[in-house]
Amino acid sequence: MSARGDLAERTAERHLREPWDELRLPATRAFRSQRAGATFGMWIFLASEVLFFGALFLLYTALRLEHSADFAVAARETNIVYGTLNTALLLTSGMTAAVAVQASEREDLRRLTLLCLAATVALGLAFMVVKGLEYREDIEKHLVPGAHFALKERATQLFFGFYWLSTSIHAIHLAIGIGLLTRLIWREWRSPGLLFKSPQLEVATLYWGFVDLVWIVLYPMLYLDGRSA
Amino acid sequence: MSAQSRKAAGAIWLRALVVWVGLLALLGASLLAAYRLDAPWGPALNFGIAATQAGLVAVLFMRLDRADRLVRLAAACGLFWLAILFTLTLADTLSRLANT
Amino acid sequence: MSGASSDASSLANPRELDLGLPVSYLGEGHSVASWLFTTDHKRIAILYALSITFFFFIGGAAATLVRLELFTPQGDVVGADHYNKLFSLHGIVMVWFFLIPSIPTTMGNFLLPLMIGARDLAFPKLNLISWYLNIAGGLLTLAAVLAGGIDTGWTFYVPYSTVFSNTFVTLAVLGVFVSGFSTIATGVNFIATVHYLRAPGMTWFRLPLFVWSMYTTSLIFVLATPVLALTLILVIAERTFGLPIFDPARGGDPILFQHLFWFYSHPAVYIMILPAMGVISEVITCYARRRIFGYSFMVYALVAIAVIGFFTWGHHMFTSGMSPFAALVFSFLSFIVAVPSAIKVFNWTATLYRGQIGFESPMLYGLGFLGLFTMGGLTGLFLASVPIDVHVQDTYFVVAHFHYIMVGASVSAYFAGLHFWWPKVTGRMYPESWARFAALLMFFGFNLTFFPQFIAGYLGMPRRYYAYPPEFQVWNVLSSSGAAVLAVAYLMPLGYLTWSLFFGARALNDPWNASGLEWRTTSPPPRQNFFGNPQVLAPPYDYHPEATPPGDEPRIAEEGALT
Repeated sequence: MSARGDLAERTAERHLREPWDELRLPATRAFRSQRAGATFGMWIFLASEVLFFGALFLLYTALRLEHSADFAVAARETNIVYGTLNTALLLTSGMTAAVAVQASEREDLRRLTLLCLAATVALGLAFMVVKGLEYREDIEKHLVPGAHFALKERATQLFFGFYWLSTSIHAIHLAIGIGLLTRLIWREWRSPGLLFKSPQLEVATLYWGFVDLVWIVLYPMLYLDGRSA
Repeated sequence: MSAQSRKAAGAIWLRALVVWVGLLALLGASLLAAYRLDAPWGPALNFGIAATQAGLVAVLFMRLDRADRLVRLAAACGLFWLAILFTLTLADTLSRLANT
Repeated sequence: MSGASSDASSLANPRELDLGLPVSYLGEGHSVASWLFTTDHKRIAILYALSITFFFFIGGAAATLVRLELFTPQGDVVGADHYNKLFSLHGIVMVWFFLIPSIPTTMGNFLLPLMIGARDLAFPKLNLISWYLNIAGGLLTLAAVLAGGIDTGWTFYVPYSTVFSNTFVTLAVLGVFVSGFSTIATGVNFIATVHYLRAPGMTWFRLPLFVWSMYTTSLIFVLATPVLALTLILVIAERTFGLPIFDPARGGDPILFQHLFWFYSHPAVYIMILPAMGVISEVITCYARRRIFGYSFMVYALVAIAVIGFFTWGHHMFTSGMSPFAALVFSFLSFIVAVPSAIKVFNWTATLYRGQIGFESPMLYGLGFLGLFTMGGLTGLFLASVPIDVHVQDTYFVVAHFHYIMVGASVSAYFAGLHFWWPKVTGRMYPESWARFAALLMFFGFNLTFFPQFIAGYLGMPRRYYAYPPEFQVWNVLSSSGAAVLAVAYLMPLGYLTWSLFFGARALNDPWNASGLEWRTTSPPPRQNFFGNPQVLAPPYDYHPEATPPGDEPRIAEEGALT
């Protein structure tokens, strides 16, 4: 029992930052408060991100209401194989991220934490590769809005305007997520045990989950419309 | 790895894999719906499925089920303000469309 | 100046400095690096104060040229192009680099932890990063100005900004976009701090109203700014990569831009006014020696303004081609937001009732705020009703209205707070008679500048033109002379406050006998903010107890209310 108490205290002292270390609380309680504060802060930021992507989705909704036929024509041109594969990749990475953060609650599951984080990063990179292949194909098919656009219908350019914007903004978010997780893996490598109960890991995986959520909503918008005709 | 930690790891995996299988099944269902169902129903079902998947990820992977009340409130705030944005903007867009 | 007597409830007093108390936050390190890499919320507040003062005078210089040009009906100082760039510069810099950050990032940063008895904000490093983001955004925007300027107005309306304007829109928009991250970071930080770092006994309904105003402002920071960020990305994408979203020639919908823009920019007005309301609640109670009238309703009103403020953005778009049905809904919702604002004005007035009012300079600014805010708010009701709005759309009536709120009210409150907390922040007293003179001059100059614009606008003078028909000249001459007075009134504090830093008398810990927790530490406070553990035992504004007749209470706060 006392060994566990020591471990909790050591962990708390390792992670405590100003101003949480000056709350005049025992280290373990101050650390719990700091961790809750960090999680809460991340969720406020995610609420902010909801509005950011929400505005993007609102544009899609409004423009699709105005030009539903053209949007269906345009959505048929995206590559459903790549799209579906990427959705599966991201859903899987969401799972590995969730396993990583739950495993980090136990000190004896350090290897599992690291392994799952590495898998998450690998799946994220795989997503980027597939996305790159898809972008190349789109450019070859002249699906970039502009003078040489492939489709005749007027609002199809709007759809692809949205396509390029939303996928690239999502890719930037994903790249940030990959960066955050890679940094954590590297730091754990340098000083083992750092990820145990780490607020940083919790915050980073929450962010990863959100990036996952955005893609889940983008998938039917970009790939599934107009397939039945 | 001790037996105890193996058991803990097993519990974590089991739970995660069940959700993952569910998510992929929903992905398959939306793919099927996209090719089989016509305009209003296909997209409607697909956005419903996307909302379900998003809910599963938020609650079970991002652990809203275990989170403080405060965290849930933050998440709810995001959705509430999103609803304001959508409702009032679409009130304009839809009534403009209905009158053209 | 009341309160020359030493206050026993202070934790420390300059007269007791030989007790070996730690140095103040100003004394901890004198190198440039100790400021640029600080995580102390108080030092970051000073950094912000310096940067927003810089931006204030840049925006002010542009306004000066605008008013100079409008002195005569012809374009004799600048031509049309330069005039467009000047008012755009004025608007962009004043809105995003002065008004939005003004009170929250300076007084909010400095006072929020002090008022709730915390050591710092929840995420001190994030706080520093947000200052750098703000500076980076400001410099990008200034780079756009140096490169040749931007002529879209502060609203960046499409399709002008995306298709037609060949000025440096992308750079300026990028600057505003970057500064948006700064406000989001500040918002996250404030909200987490208020939730997690309140001192023992500081319950939600014991929070000073300034803290409540920071909390509600942060809500708007966090929930409105991302929508602006996305909108600006779309403008950049359309200009740089030709991605059509708003371009009507390719089926896009420019009205959607206005929806998204005003979803942010209308609540942004509340970002400017809510902190001002917080400051005024602190100042009025202190100088009327009265507990705030209807504390809980003041709190509800702040929250209501922050929330309802998100429902009203469409009143900026009555003539945009928006559906008339939506216009009716937005008009109705805009009237509703006037209710909590009115509650606040009535409650401040009721606070004054039977108070022992002192006319020290912060109070003069505060009373000025009350008058100007009421004027601005009431003319806002004109603009919320569709027929009048259609009549005065894009005229100087609108310009006068929002300047009464954003400059009259907000900037008055900024100066009220600056004077009120100056002794706490710097440890020095400013020359009171100069400050009173500046306060009166500011009120006079402001009204002389902007009241004539109501009349000119109602008579039909459109905004954003460098030349105008001669019949409007009398109003413009009045307005421009007022602007000169106002410029002097804004420059004066820069002079005497700077003077006071070097030659002002040393301030007491609580020179005004105010009741807040921030006065229960030294002036200026130490790095750790408090000596010992602050513990809160009573609600805020413990001044003159209610139901006692005026006159028999000394003008000193009850002792021991906060230890």
